[in-house]
Formats: sequence, structure tokens, C-alpha cells
Amino acid sequence: MDNILRILFNSMQTGSTYALAALGIALIWKTSRTTNFAQGSIGTLNAYVAGILLSTWGWSIWLVALVSLVTAFLTGILIDTFIIRPAAKVSPISKQIITLGLIMVIVGLIPLLFGVDPYRLPSFIPSVSVSLGGASLRYNTIFVIAISLGLMGFLFWFIQNTRWGLAIRVTAASESTAKLMGVPTRTVTMISWASAAMMGTLAALIVAPQSSVNPNMLLDVQVSAFFAGVLGGFSTFAGPVAGAFIIAFARNFTAFYISDVWGNVIVYSAILVFLYFKPYGLFGKKIIKKV
Amino acid sequence: MEHKTDQTTSAALPEKPGSRFRLGGNPVLQILLLNAGLMIIALLPHLGLMRFSTMSIFAYTGIYTVVALGMNILLGFSGLISLGTAGFIGAGALGMGVFLRMGLPFELSALLVLLIAAGLGALIGLFSLKVESIYLAIATLFIGEILRQIYTSVPIFGGEFISIGAVKLFGFIELNQILQVHRSILYALIILVQFLGMLLMYNLVKSRTGRALMAMSRSEHAAQAMGINILKYRLIAFITATVYATSGGILYAMFFQNAPTRAWTLNISLLIIAMVVVGGFKSIIGTFLGAIIIYGIPNLFLKDLLGDISYVFSGLLIILVILFYPRGFVFVGEDIKRLFRRRRTAAADAGHKGGGK
Repeated sequence: MDNILRILFNSMQTGSTYALAALGIALIWKTSRTTNFAQGSIGTLNAYVAGILLSTWGWSIWLVALVSLVTAFLTGILIDTFIIRPAAKVSPISKQIITLGLIMVIVGLIPLLFGVDPYRLPSFIPSVSVSLGGASLRYNTIFVIAISLGLMGFLFWFIQNTRWGLAIRVTAASESTAKLMGVPTRTVTMISWASAAMMGTLAALIVAPQSSVNPNMLLDVQVSAFFAGVLGGFSTFAGPVAGAFIIAFARNFTAFYISDVWGNVIVYSAILVFLYFKPYGLFGKKIIKKV
Repeated sequence: MEHKTDQTTSAALPEKPGSRFRLGGNPVLQILLLNAGLMIIALLPHLGLMRFSTMSIFAYTGIYTVVALGMNILLGFSGLISLGTAGFIGAGALGMGVFLRMGLPFELSALLVLLIAAGLGALIGLFSLKVESIYLAIATLFIGEILRQIYTSVPIFGGEFISIGAVKLFGFIELNQILQVHRSILYALIILVQFLGMLLMYNLVKSRTGRALMAMSRSEHAAQAMGINILKYRLIAFITATVYATSGGILYAMFFQNAPTRAWTLNISLLIIAMVVVGGFKSIIGTFLGAIIIYGIPNLFLKDLLGDISYVFSGLLIILVILFYPRGFVFVGEDIKRLFRRRRTAAADAGHKGGGK
């Protein structure tokens, strides 16, 4: 029982990082119609900002987290303005490859800007744990889960109930129609990139204490976020989030109870089989095209 | 001396694409000329005109070109995408390693590896009937990740890498990568396979199959209405692409004679796609150009000139080429020609005016 609970808590934490990244990818997919392969790299870049501030000036983790979220917001806006918007007329596949170019630029810039040594980032709340049903649970884990769920809840509320949320939904449905209706689609895509970058950075800040701030820290998160999006379906915002938690739990569960080596392979194969029968994910709907 | 070697490579490069831009040129002749030019590179290190490491970069470019040709059949002709290419290159390289260590002859191992890869390709093809767009792309990423997971964690692939050692072709020609003469022969073999791959692709896309693939990429429903069997051509597209990718892996195993297990990540697959996008959809010479731009130029020149910044520059190069040449870099020749023509007509106009006065 305590094993199950421990796996559940762990999965909630890793699941929230996947969910944050996946939500960013879904937001960009819906508003800009491109697959953002650079989601992880953007998060990593800004985690480096936090790392360097912490190690040179000794600021508290809360302050550096805040600063790195601001720089993430700016990175998102810069990327949208200078790279994504000029490429509006490029074919969809080429647009995806632009984000690959972006990865190379970011990964190449990191050692130049921040040096080759990895940085350490502490967790938000120092290691104190409570016991819950036999499994020990760190306060930091609770905090991380709470803040991710809170943030995602806010985002869902925002998208469903505000004017800007409506603008995002309309842009996602059809950008050209939205533009004709007077929706400022440029601002919408810009804000989407900015918030996606912030969510990626938050995921990076959550992952960092477990290893370190290094160029490959979000590789697993990035790939898992794609998988989460497909499992849940990209047509809703809730789908990728649900997918993220399912994947995190399934991977931890199989790794613990079946095999450390084959766990991932089993989960991925199972999702592939699932996808064969439900090609648009758990919550996805088929988009009916007129010929 | 080193400067000189760089000049020879740079002088050799523009001449070959130049032949492609000649109007009305025969495509087969262009492919032949390109590969003949690349074949000459095998001799240059022995004449002291080029470093052996430079030849290895061209070998790498050749391997990438072969893989990217398969990707072009998917992306350019069929409108499908695969993010699992790296897994299949790995399957080629590591599969060869495993079979060769079991004592099988080179040709049989290659055949077995290709058959296995074709089987996987067929599976993806079947899968693609159900799943589409971003879902299909990520489904292929699943397959790439599953393969990567298997390479890194199954003991048969031997941890960090499989060292293959000298390969024996046709049972009697033993070639070892360490010997310089042998390395040139291996390089020539890669170019030969690249040449055959280009010819095969040319024939494939000029045939009924190529037209069917293009029809399918434009509109599946219309293609179906014209009597094109979607299942058959999806299978053809994916099997061809995986076989090309796996051939690239086999060439890798043959040339470098060691196969790493951890290298086959998503980034390699993305690089291959970038080669097609940057070089030019549906263009065979363009695919080669893409490989040169994405892999060759950064490793031949940028690394020496810029050092650590080279990675940033290749990223910028990808972004800029896509922004300014969305149809592919292969069309740069046409643009230059148009520029010249405009200038000539402008000059003619000026001359005319001058005469009128």
C-alpha cells in the first residue's frame, strides 16, 4: 500500500512537469499550428538564468524563480516576433523544423552564456516530510503538485471564462476567421508563446533540484510531453494534462512492479496500440474535413 | 597547407551543384556527375590535397544523404512525416554489429537488418492508415523512443557501443577503417550506394508509384477516387523510407566500424528532416545540398572558423534558409539566374536608351 502511495506521489510530481510542458506544446499547437520541439530547450535556457543568479548573487530560490519566469516571458515574445511570425507563410513541416533550428541556437548559446559547468538549484521548500498512509511525502512535492495544479486550473478558467481566453479559443479554431472578426491574433500567438515558455521554465525549475541545471535536463520531459499530448488528444486543453499524469503513473508503476528496463517499452507500446483504436487520443475528436 | 585543403573542397563544391542549375540538364547525368565528383574525393587525401578527417566528413554527409533521400520520399512525395528515423539508422548500425559478431557474413547481415527494418516500416505504414498529422508524427516518435530504449538497455547491444572491426565484403575483401587505403575504398563504397540510392529514387518517383504518392499527398480522397490504393502506397512510402534509413545505418557500421548505442535520439531524426526541408522537397540533388548545409558546412568550415559558436550558426542557418527559401535551398540557383537576367535586361534597356539619344 505504501509503495502504491509513494509511486502515486512521485508520479504526481513528474506528471505535473510533463503536464506543464504538454500544456505549453498544446497551446502553441493550437494557436500557431506548429509542433514546438524547442519547448524543453526554452525552459532549460531560463533555468540557467535562475541558476546563475542563485550562484553569483545568492538570491533566494523564490526570487530567482520569479526572475527566470520573467525572462521566459520575454524569450517567448522574442521568439514569436522574430522567428515564428515571419514564418507564417512557410509550410507546416518547415515551420516545425524552425523550432529545431531554435534548439540548436539555444543549446549552442548555453555554454557561451553560462559556461559548461552545471548549476545546482535547491527545491522550493527545504527537505521536510510528512508521513501519509505509511509513505513519506516531502512538503516540496506537495507544493509542486499544488502550484502546478493551481496554475493549470487557473489557465483552464482563463481560457473558458475571459475575453482573452475566448480570443485564444477562436484563434485555435480558425486563425483567418478570427482575424476577420477583429481578434488580435498576433497578440494571442505572442501571449501563447510567452506562457508556453513560462510553463516550460516552471517544469525546468521543478526538475532541477532532482539532478542539476544542464543542457539535457528537460529531454525526457519534452518527449513525454509530446506523448502526453497524443495520449490525451490535442483538441482539448485538459487532454494533454490527463495524458501527462497517466503516462507518469504508468511509467513509474511498470518500472517498479514489472521491470526497470522494459517499463518504458511496455508503456509506449501500450499507448501505440491504444492510439491505433483511438487515433485522436482519450478526449480528442475527429476533425471532419469537407472534400 | 591546411588552408589549401579547405580551398580544394570549397572549389569542388560549387562546381557540382552548378551542373544542376543548367537549364534542360538531364537529371540522371547530374546525379552521375555529382557522384563522380564526390568519388574523386576518395583520391585527394592520398595526393596530399585533403585531410583524411575531411574525407570522413564527406562520408558522413553521404550517409546522411542516403537517409535523407528516404525521408524525402516520405516528406516531399507522400506528405507524411517520421520522427523515428534515428531509431532506424541505429537499427542498421547496431543490427549489423550484432549479426557480424554472431559470425554471419556481411551481405547476409545487411539483408537481415533490411528485412527487419522493412517489416517495422510496414507496421508503421499500416498504423498510418488510422492515425494522422501530429498524432502520426508522434506515433513514429514512440517507435524511435522504443528502439532507443531497447538499444540502451538490452545487453545484446553491449552497453556503450558495439565495436565491429574490419568488415569482410563478398567473403574475401577485408577492409579495415584504420588503414588509409581501406578507408578510401570504404568511402567510395558509400558514394556508390548514395549514387544507387539516388538513381533508385529517381526511377521510383518518375514511375507510376511516384505519381500515386504525389496524388496521395495532395488529397487522399481524390487519390482514392482515382483508384489509387492508399494502403499499398502508404506501405511503399514507409518501407522505402525505413530501408533508406537502415541502409544509412549499415553504411555507418561499415565505415566507422563501431556502433554507439546512445546516439540515436530525436535530434538526429530532426536533423534528417531539416536536410530535406532546407535542401528542397522532391529534389534529389537538393537532398544532397541539404546534407551539405546541415552537416557538411558546419563541420568542414564553421567549426574551424568559429569554434564553439558553430552550433549556433547551423541553427541560425536552418532558420534563415527556411525563412528566405521556404521551397528549399536548391532553388537558390534559379533566383541567382533571375537576378542576372534582370540585370542583363536592365543593362540592355540602358543601352537602348543611350542609343536612342
